[in-house]
Amino acid sequence: MLIELRDMFKTYEVGTQQVHALRDISLSIEENEYVAIMGPSGSGKSTLMNIVGCLDTPTEGSYLLKGTEVAALDDDELAEIRSAEIGFVFQTFNLLPRMTAFQNVELPLIYGRAARHTRAERVWETMDAVGLRERAHHRPNELSGGQRQRVAIARALINRPSIILADEPTGNLDSVTGEEIMQVFRGLSDAGNTIILVTHEQYIAEHATRIVKLLDGRIASDTTT
Amino acid sequence: MGTLERASPGTGFRQGSAKAMEFRETLLSSIRTLRSHKMRSLLTMLGIVIGTGSLVSVMSLIAGLNSSVSAQFQSVGTDIISVSRYPWVQMGNSDAYKDRKHITLEDAAAVGRLRSVGMVAANIHTRRHIAHDGRVMKYTLVSGSTAEYEIIDNYLVEEGRFITDLDVERRRQSVVIGADVAGELFPVRDPLGKEVRVGGRRFTVVGILKSKGDIFGESLDDLVIIPITTFQKAYGSRRSVVIDCSPAEGVPIERTMDDIRQVMRTMTGIVGLALLVGGIGVMNVMLVSVAERTREIGVRKAIGARRGDITSQFLIESIILTGIGGAMGIAGGAGVALLVKAVTPLPAEVTVAAVALAAAFAVVTGVAFGVYPAHRAGRLRPIEALRYE
Repeated sequence: MLIELRDMFKTYEVGTQQVHALRDISLSIEENEYVAIMGPSGSGKSTLMNIVGCLDTPTEGSYLLKGTEVAALDDDELAEIRSAEIGFVFQTFNLLPRMTAFQNVELPLIYGRAARHTRAERVWETMDAVGLRERAHHRPNELSGGQRQRVAIARALINRPSIILADEPTGNLDSVTGEEIMQVFRGLSDAGNTIILVTHEQYIAEHATRIVKLLDGRIASDTTT
Repeated sequence: MGTLERASPGTGFRQGSAKAMEFRETLLSSIRTLRSHKMRSLLTMLGIVIGTGSLVSVMSLIAGLNSSVSAQFQSVGTDIISVSRYPWVQMGNSDAYKDRKHITLEDAAAVGRLRSVGMVAANIHTRRHIAHDGRVMKYTLVSGSTAEYEIIDNYLVEEGRFITDLDVERRRQSVVIGADVAGELFPVRDPLGKEVRVGGRRFTVVGILKSKGDIFGESLDDLVIIPITTFQKAYGSRRSVVIDCSPAEGVPIERTMDDIRQVMRTMTGIVGLALLVGGIGVMNVMLVSVAERTREIGVRKAIGARRGDITSQFLIESIILTGIGGAMGIAGGAGVALLVKAVTPLPAEVTVAAVALAAAFAVVTGVAFGVYPAHRAGRLRPIEALRYE
């Protein structure tokens, strides 16, 4: 099992009040699954994604990633897991504006301590995979929205992560471009990658093979198509 | 599309977490950030440039002043210390002394307050023509002084009295004349109470000095003494004062001289202020930089940056900033000091110590004031940083 969440809670303190963002979540995801997490805003889907992506840790319960208990790890250990196992794709792309597409894609390799002489080759290979070799030396502001998201996907893929986490990846794109990006994810899934997609759009979620719906911090439904 | 295969599922987590990121990468990344924020980098550096610049220029000026104090002591007689800008016997050209500290009446007063000092007399001199009733003595030494001068410099009054405290206080036009002057201008009459012109100004003779004879063929009696305050009013107060003093009773003369040296050195407190201002400037800008790059930090962390990666990036940025700023400040400060030296009578000396201290200051500021912002950047929690707008 790639991901195993057991009896997991996430509680925030807001002033004197306790906000239960996630309650009693148990969820298992296998390798090469393509899962969409759905729910209205406030349902806890972002919190769930943050925990699965090792950006945050649960308040209670257990999260096993490839058999390792993540809930107990410290900051740097989490950073290492993010570097090696997780590839993030954000709604707003989150590319570093001062760097070229190439440099953006290369960055996770640098944080992953990849040797310099191996990096360029990896970057080109990945840029080819998302079809952006020609735009490699442009900065994000010289690229279209779809191209930016492809750069972001390349950056997520570069360290060959176990999980690709995409948070509303088409939210800032027009429907045609959004569809193209979903085709990229389709290709990645077909190539054996595990993809977790957070969305509130039904038609986007339908690209996935499994849909988990959250409501008020609980799993409301879990259906495999 | 679809060419990307999952290379080796289940490779496990990386080992060797202690391995540091390549320094070259951190450095390049820092330089890239600084270059892309040229205006901000420049303004940050400005604080350091001004800090180190004022450090170097102030220290150079102080060094110039201090170097003057060292060689200007001589013993006059057995137990009289004389502090002057110029030595009694000048070797070579006088340029060697022009950078020395200008000695003022305030300095004399400060020396007088020392416990190890007994009596103090300040005096200034120039040369002027002395005239009475058609008779003229050319280029006679005119000495502006105080009452204590009589005792310290061992003058004996033949007739009348010496300059008194009241003469000094009221800036009276009183003059005590040397034996040569008395003999030349008043061959027959009694000079006491008569009027003489000193450099064209009217003075009343209040005393006549006993002859001191001559030394190396120069008469010691070809002089007139007037109150120091009157002297300054008549000839300006820009002339350097000579301070003659005696040690206090039972104090060794060496100790008195040490004390005087201390007094003559200028304050160095200004420098400390310059350091602090520059440092706070750097910290301020680095904190702003951390705040406005919060999202960037969040992204970097999300894609695998560790705490140390972020911290060292910010630290290196501030060190580069202060390093370049420091170099510019040292060059600028030395330039200012040399300019001041060239166009004003103030002395200046750019010392190795000043440059070294400024360089050390720049580096220490970069580290000390960069650590806190860098630490804060490293500690940012990724989810909060990513949510930051």
